[in-house]
Order: sequence, then C-alpha cells, then structure tokens
Amino acid sequence: MFGVWLSLVLLLCLLGGVAGFWWLQRRRQQQKEALLRRQLVSVTQSSRQTGDNIAHDLRTPLTRLRADVEDALRHDDSEMHRATLERVLDEIQNMQNIVNALLALSQAEAGVMRVRKKTVDLSGLLEELIELYIPSAEERQLTLQGRIAPNLNIEADRQLLARIFANLFDNELKYVPAGGTILLTALASGPHVEIRVEDDGPGIPVEMRDKIFERFARLDPSRTLSGGSGLGLSLVKAFAQLLQGEVRVVESSLGGAAFILTLPASAAELSKPSP
Amino acid sequence: MVKLLIIEDDEAAAGSLKRGLVEAGYAVELAHDGERGLQQAQAGDHDLWVIDIMLPGRDGLSVLKTLRDQGRRTPALILSALGKVDDRVEGLRVGGDDYVVKPYAFDELLARIEALLRRVRSFGSGPETMLELADLKMDLLSRNVTRGGQEIDLQPREFRLLEYLMRHAGQVVTRTMLLENVWEYFFDPQTNVVDVHISRLRQKIDKSFATPLLHTVRGRGYILRPEA
Ligand SMILES: Nc1ncnc2c1ncn2[C@@H]1O[C@H](COP(=O)(O)OP(=O)(O)O)[C@@H](O)[C@H]1O
Ligand SMILES: [Mg+2]
Repeated sequence: MFGVWLSLVLLLCLLGGVAGFWWLQRRRQQQKEALLRRQLVSVTQSSRQTGDNIAHDLRTPLTRLRADVEDALRHDDSEMHRATLERVLDEIQNMQNIVNALLALSQAEAGVMRVRKKTVDLSGLLEELIELYIPSAEERQLTLQGRIAPNLNIEADRQLLARIFANLFDNELKYVPAGGTILLTALASGPHVEIRVEDDGPGIPVEMRDKIFERFARLDPSRTLSGGSGLGLSLVKAFAQLLQGEVRVVESSLGGAAFILTLPASAAELSKPSP
Repeated sequence: MVKLLIIEDDEAAAGSLKRGLVEAGYAVELAHDGERGLQQAQAGDHDLWVIDIMLPGRDGLSVLKTLRDQGRRTPALILSALGKVDDRVEGLRVGGDDYVVKPYAFDELLARIEALLRRVRSFGSGPETMLELADLKMDLLSRNVTRGGQEIDLQPREFRLLEYLMRHAGQVVTRTMLLENVWEYFFDPQTNVVDVHISRLRQKIDKSFATPLLHTVRGRGYILRPEA
C-alpha cells in the first residue's frame, strides 16, 4: 500500500513540477479564475494564455486529486480507499494524456521531432483508417464514407499522417450528433494532395476558424478532461506543418465543418503525366 | 521459474515493478545502474531483460547494444521517458524486442513481458499453419476459420485480429498491443476504436456458441481462452 501511495506522490510531484514549470514560465497571473473563465470562453490568442491554460488544465485535476486523497486519508475504510485510488488513476491518465500531447506539440513546433519520411500510399492509408473507424462511427449512428482517388503517393511519415487523421476522426465521432454523415475526400491537386474531412454537424463559427487550432481552444468551454483537452487540432496543425503541409477549416457543403489538409505530393507523383 | 532482470535506476519505481512481477510469479533481479546491469546480465541466465533507457553512467541503449554485440539474444523490453518519440525506433534498432513509454501502466508492461516470453518459447517450432483453441480453428494457409466445424466469415483485418489473439491465447493483450500489432499504429486514439472491432469479432466467433472464448478483462484488455 505504501508503495502505491509513494509512487502516486512521486507522479504527482512530477506532474506538479511540469505544471509549475509552465506556470512560472508564464507567470503574469493577475487575473484569477473569473477572468480566466472569461478568457477561456472567448479563447483569445495571447501566448500568455497558453501558459495559463496549461496551468489551469493541470491545476484543476490536481486540486481534485488532492481533495480526494486527503479525504480518503481521513478515513480508515479500505473500500473507500480503493474507490479513491481508481479515481486517482483515471485522473492521472487524463493528466498524462495532456502532458504527452503538450510534449509532442512542443517537439513538433520546435522541429526536434524526427520525421521519418518515406513514400506512403496515402490512398491505402486512408482506406485503412476508414476501416478502423467505421465500426465506431456506426456504433454512434454515423455514416463514414470515403471518396479517395487511387494511387495517391506522398513523401511523408505514416505515423504522423495517421495521427492527423485519427485526431480529425476522433473529433467527428465526438462532435457530430447521431444520424450524421462524415465524408473523407482525397484527390491530387497540382503539386499537392488535398484531403478533406467534413461533416453535417454543428460546424465551426467563422470567428473561431483560426482559433480552434490553438492549444486548449474548445467551442464548449465547460471543459471536462475526459472529453478531450483542446489539444487535438493543435497537434493536427503542428504535424501538418512538419510534413510541409497546412490545415484549415471552412464550412462544408454538407452543412458542418470541413477540415482541409494540403500536403505536397511526392516527386514521383509530380513527374507522372497529368491525366 | 522464469527469471527477469530489471535495470532501472529509480529505486521506488523498480521496487513496485518488482513487487508486481513477483506477485505475477516471476523471479526478479534488480540493478540500479547501467554498469551493474550489464554485469548482472552477463553473469545471469535471465529469460528477459527490462531496461530503462535513462540510466546514470552507462545508458540503457548502450547496455543493450553491448549485450547484443556479445551475441546475447535474451529478449529485451525497453522503458523510455515520456514523450521521447524517437526512443522506440532507437531502442528497436539496438536490439530491443519491445518498448514501453513511462509512465506505463503495470498491466501494459506485464502483458508485453508475457507476449515476449511467449514469442521466444514458440520460436524455432517452425512456421505454424494451423492455430487452434478449443473448437476454434484457424487455417493460416487457406485462411479458413471454423468453430465447431461451422465456417466463420471474417474480413481480412478481423482475421489478423483473431490470429493475434490466438497466437496469444490464454494471455491478456492490451488495446495498445492490438493497435500496434494488428493495425501498426504506434499511438492511441482518443476514442474506443479497438473495442468496437473486438465486439464485432466477438459477434462472429462467440455469439451462436455456448462457451464464449473472447473475454474482456476490465481495465486491462482482452483475453482469448476457453474458460471464463
Ligand atoms: N468536426 C467538428 N465539428 C464541430 N466542432 C468541432 C469539430 N472538430 C473540432 N471541433 C471543436 O473544436 C474544438 C477543439 O478540438 P480539438 O483541438 O480536437 O480538442 P478536443 O477534441 O480535445 O476538444 C473541440 O472542442 C470542438 O469544440
Ligand atoms: Mg479532439
């Protein structure tokens, strides 16, 4: 039992350290919760806010963890202790996800993430990803369709590409209401390939279409960690840039959001005579 | 008794890991730095090494590379620091057999240790053409799957999923292991994509039969075995 608590405390110290590090870095903390809340709702773009959000995102679960653990320690009830430990573990998992995403993000943005570029059969990869996601989509009464041009080859990192689309598909599953449609289109367009992931869901309001790619930006400010922490699209953007591509969101002709990713086509693709 | 050597400098982490593995039935030896780890690995006859990459003095990759250069083939599972994305490739390049990122879930590590030990045990028995578990049979050549003589129609990916589960029958496999080995993705999506594939497979192999074979192990993963 002691070992469990000890490792818990160590992990908390680690996570606390990470939070503290970011906190100190961006310290200008005049505004308290109220202002922070207001800022979160409007999701403004200052870099200071990034730091505040990170601290906020880690401090909220830390506060919860601390209260939960202290409460458990005040009681001598092994069943309660077990329940507490299970909650604590869930919370640690959430925090771990945030820390992982932040690390990936800072590595990608600093350009230190190694990209293993190879010729990737993009058409094949997209078909595979659709196949991976279709059962989950159907379970949520969503229709997931692909219109993928054959033989799209690009120079890219297969894992990074897959993570980009997994993040976009995860969002589709989360934000498109049951009964909706998700459409994936991929085609060659001059020296680029263009991949669209679009839906007939609620869409992204015009004024949020740039902001939504920022860290911790979410349309629904009632932020529950398990629902995601607003880092998915910033990862999508950072990974797209690592692959010399870009991503943006527009309104879909289906009525919802259309995420458009453009990536450079491979040299081989370019040298092929255009049809 | 299966003998493991853990080379990990964080004594608290190594201690809880050891306790867990001893409870799971392994004999566990610890080393807290690279140099001593190397000596113990050379002196002992372990069935598996767990090697942390970040060690004081000589780092884990260098330890493993030295051991491999000396011709030692003991399976090695590498532990790396959180977020070091390149470590996986580096680790496998110097001869690691599998890889777990810290902070890891104990169950994830245990499942992977068991999978590695299993792989080594079945090594050398020649390529299998037939996998069997109770009345479930998978012919790897004709790609025919039957249960109780009744043919089961599987999609190609479902076939790979079932093949992986059958090769690890009796052993817990995690979602991450399935994503890596069946789909070859080295990251975890936020949604429960794997679970839904499992439940579809379960529909096909278990639904019209009295004894279920594919079980969910809560919080850990899945196991294919004849008894509940
Ligand atoms: N397809 C979509 N339809 C509507 N809103 C979306 C869609 N994808 C993303 N969003 C909005 O963008 C926000 C940010 O997405 P993301 O960065 O992936 O973070 P998270 O999913 O963790 O909230 C989401 O919280 C959601 O409000
Ligand atoms: Mg998301």
